[in-house]
Amino acid sequence: MEKLFRYTLAALISTVAGFQFLQVITRYVFETPIMGLEEVAMIPTLWLYILGAVNASREDTQIRANVLEIFLSTERARHILLVVSETCSLVISIWLTSWAWNYFRYALRVDKETPTLYLPTLIYESALFFGLLLMTLYTAWHLLGHLRALLRGGAGLDTPIDHEHPHTSELDEFKVLERSEDKSHG
Amino acid sequence: ATLKISHVRPQGAIIDQEINAFASEVNKATDGDLKIKIYAASALGDYTSVQERISVGAIDMAVQPAAAAADRKMQISSFPYIAGNWEQARKIYGPNGAIYNTMKELYAKQDITMLAAYPVYFGGIALNREAVAAGDPNVAKGIKVRVPGIKSFQLTGDALGYISSPIPFSEAFTAVQTGVVDGVIGSGAEGYYASFRDVTKTYIPINTHFEVWYMIINSETLADMDADDRQALQQAALAFEANRWERAKSDQAAYEQKLADNGATIVRLTDDELEATAQKVRTDVWPQILEDVGADWGQSILDQAAN
Amino acid sequence: MVEIALLAFLVLIFLLSLGVPLPYCFGAGLMVMTLVGDATMKGMMLWGFSQLTNPVLLAIPLFVFAGTIMSVSGIAASLLKFVNVFVGRVRGGLGVVASVSCAIIGAISGSGLTGIAAIGPLLIPEMERKGYPRAYATALIANSSVLGLLIPPSVTMIVFGWVTETSILASFLATLGPGLLIMINFAIVNLVMARKFPLVLDQQIEFGEMMKQAGRNTVHAIPALLMPVIILGGIYGGVMTPTEAAAVAVIYALPVGFMIYKGLTWQSFLESGKESATAVGAILIMILFSLMLSQIFVMEDIPQALVEAIFEITTDKTLLLLLVTLFLFLIGMVVNDITAIILTAPLLMPLMEALGVSPIQFAAIMGVTTAMGGVTPPYASILYLGARIGNVKFTEIIKPAMLLLLFGYLPVVALVLIWPELSEFIPQMMGY
Ligand code: NA
Ligand code: NA
Repeated sequence: MEKLFRYTLAALISTVAGFQFLQVITRYVFETPIMGLEEVAMIPTLWLYILGAVNASREDTQIRANVLEIFLSTERARHILLVVSETCSLVISIWLTSWAWNYFRYALRVDKETPTLYLPTLIYESALFFGLLLMTLYTAWHLLGHLRALLRGGAGLDTPIDHEHPHTSELDEFKVLERSEDKSHG
Repeated sequence: ATLKISHVRPQGAIIDQEINAFASEVNKATDGDLKIKIYAASALGDYTSVQERISVGAIDMAVQPAAAAADRKMQISSFPYIAGNWEQARKIYGPNGAIYNTMKELYAKQDITMLAAYPVYFGGIALNREAVAAGDPNVAKGIKVRVPGIKSFQLTGDALGYISSPIPFSEAFTAVQTGVVDGVIGSGAEGYYASFRDVTKTYIPINTHFEVWYMIINSETLADMDADDRQALQQAALAFEANRWERAKSDQAAYEQKLADNGATIVRLTDDELEATAQKVRTDVWPQILEDVGADWGQSILDQAAN
Repeated sequence: MVEIALLAFLVLIFLLSLGVPLPYCFGAGLMVMTLVGDATMKGMMLWGFSQLTNPVLLAIPLFVFAGTIMSVSGIAASLLKFVNVFVGRVRGGLGVVASVSCAIIGAISGSGLTGIAAIGPLLIPEMERKGYPRAYATALIANSSVLGLLIPPSVTMIVFGWVTETSILASFLATLGPGLLIMINFAIVNLVMARKFPLVLDQQIEFGEMMKQAGRNTVHAIPALLMPVIILGGIYGGVMTPTEAAAVAVIYALPVGFMIYKGLTWQSFLESGKESATAVGAILIMILFSLMLSQIFVMEDIPQALVEAIFEITTDKTLLLLLVTLFLFLIGMVVNDITAIILTAPLLMPLMEALGVSPIQFAAIMGVTTAMGGVTPPYASILYLGARIGNVKFTEIIKPAMLLLLFGYLPVVALVLIWPELSEFIPQMMGY
């Protein structure tokens, strides 16, 4: 799954950059902008956003404010807090997904088209429903994980939380930056 | 009940004043049964999404251009060079005109009732530089103009000898200001004065298209009103429309003057030049868009409009 | 309806402090408005999603991606050597190198994390070797890293321009003046602090030798220094829109990263792409629901009601600006920069208009206060990243970090408030 997301997302963001680059080249260098290019570019762009969000749910790196965590002392307390917050998330996510389903059915019925190439907009409009559905499933999955950890018990739950090296979800998203080691000094 | 109405211009613009007058007229005529709450400056979203939200009943009303996403036939509303002057325009876009009736039918299919057509202006070209052979469509001008992402405008820009560059509206002003493009197609004097006056050095009233907005309402909302209120609302809409036809022509002249006062050069074309331009666009652009909307259907409406 | 909006906001804040992901916090706000109040979700998904089709947003992942590629590829070493040639030999000069290099990185990247990530691993050990306390060095670089959000391009200013319908180019320039001032201020504070440290100085070298080094290091830094020239020159020179410039930055960074600085590998390229996409997905899904909530607020006239309620209390401009800044500072403590803007800009914009604060000055106020959020605990991503990279404990870094914030950063925040020209001068010079 990691590999799938890695390749898909890297391919999408590169494609999107490529389309914009092409737009500049055709307009500025060749002076013949391609009609409808921006409509085609919309497809990978919106899927990039939505699949990026799905991946954030998968990796559990959605943006959060972990304010309460500083007051917690053990892993057990953290898991309990997570069970509470993930349960809230799950309920809200299901509610949002049901409205996205509503929108998906509407888009299916109305069958809209882009203004110059007449591409069916459903190609990217469907992303929202499928994206939210996957996010809901991943939220449920994480909730299950925390419940299982609590039920399993064990010494791991009594491990104190490391307050000296705190983290935020943003940092989990940019692991690649952290790995950038000193290349010239060895 | 309170009806939410959306429009695309800032507070205090002519349309805003006219909708305000309409709203108080409705309020008075229904003894306060119907209140109208105005959302200016696309506060509820761009006209495409507003039209969809009216269709599903999330917003009640709007005065705005027709969005063709759900039905490409609606492009007939912004078809270039159908009307040559204000008299023709009133015949075609005014009450019971060919396009008026067609749009009413098309809206109905989206659960929307068209209450009135609102003539705005004949379109033109605004440039951030001096014009090149403005009256001769056959000269390649080497001038990049921003066109909205709508096929007829892109083709029209090309047919007039410009380099059509599709740039989204949100980036258009900056693009003209920095020189990514040298001008804009797709609006008219009033629209350019509202959004582009600081970057307009030249304005060419070349009548690209006839800009018309529609006062629309969700059909169910209209049907659910009690009969007197509905009657009053429809009456007020007709008055709103009639008033507009009286003012539209002089408003256009006034906005051209405002552009000129703001330092823009107005490049007027002769009747012959306008006719040659219209002819070129009809030959180059019409067949392609007719193909898209259904050639027989489209042609039958153009024929009605021509009579 | 105002009471229900208030309830929605309280529920939002409550869930936020429980650690519920932000998109769902906004979702809960929507639930309150529609289930408790009588607002409708009908057509709301459709509207929200159509907002995401605005190409301006695309600049966010692309600027982040370009910055990440450059950082991962190892340009930092060449930039450091380049800056070091000019100021490295002064007593306390290495600290100046830190803040100037972060500013240059800021002109390449749109994010506040890139500076500490790129510069930190090289400069922290180097500064420690020269006699700076490790925690101080880390805090200095982390604080300077904030410049990534103030020197254009900047993702926070893209988001600000987008939600408030202010020109993005003008918003970019609004924080440039304050950003440069903060850079200078950090340098000065550092020179003062450096007197207390037992610093080891580089041997003085002859002028000729210095020029030779300067030449060599400059040549090696040119591909990196060209990047801001291409981005900003391209935008302000009328070649491309900001979104296109972001794409060009990515396309430019690739060969530079693979072939010139050579730090970029196939794997780190994929990783950078994935992480940039995930970061932007997480931001945009949050933006999506926050927009829906503020759209419902607009439909119910909440922003105007809010302005009226505030004006009931006071109409004093200075006092209100001070309160707004304090409010933004508190918000910045618990959420990150972009979230802070999303949360507050649409609500505060009508107030600023009513107060007669220009959109450009407001952009600068938002820019500097929310950027500061990255180094103010408890939610301090930039500081945390610094602590990890510098391998220092959070409790050690906090004191020097707050000291730098107090003397280096806050004076500029105060200036932004009372001196509109600081933010407006550069935009006006460029015709905004
Ligand atoms: Na930056
Ligand atoms: Na913070």
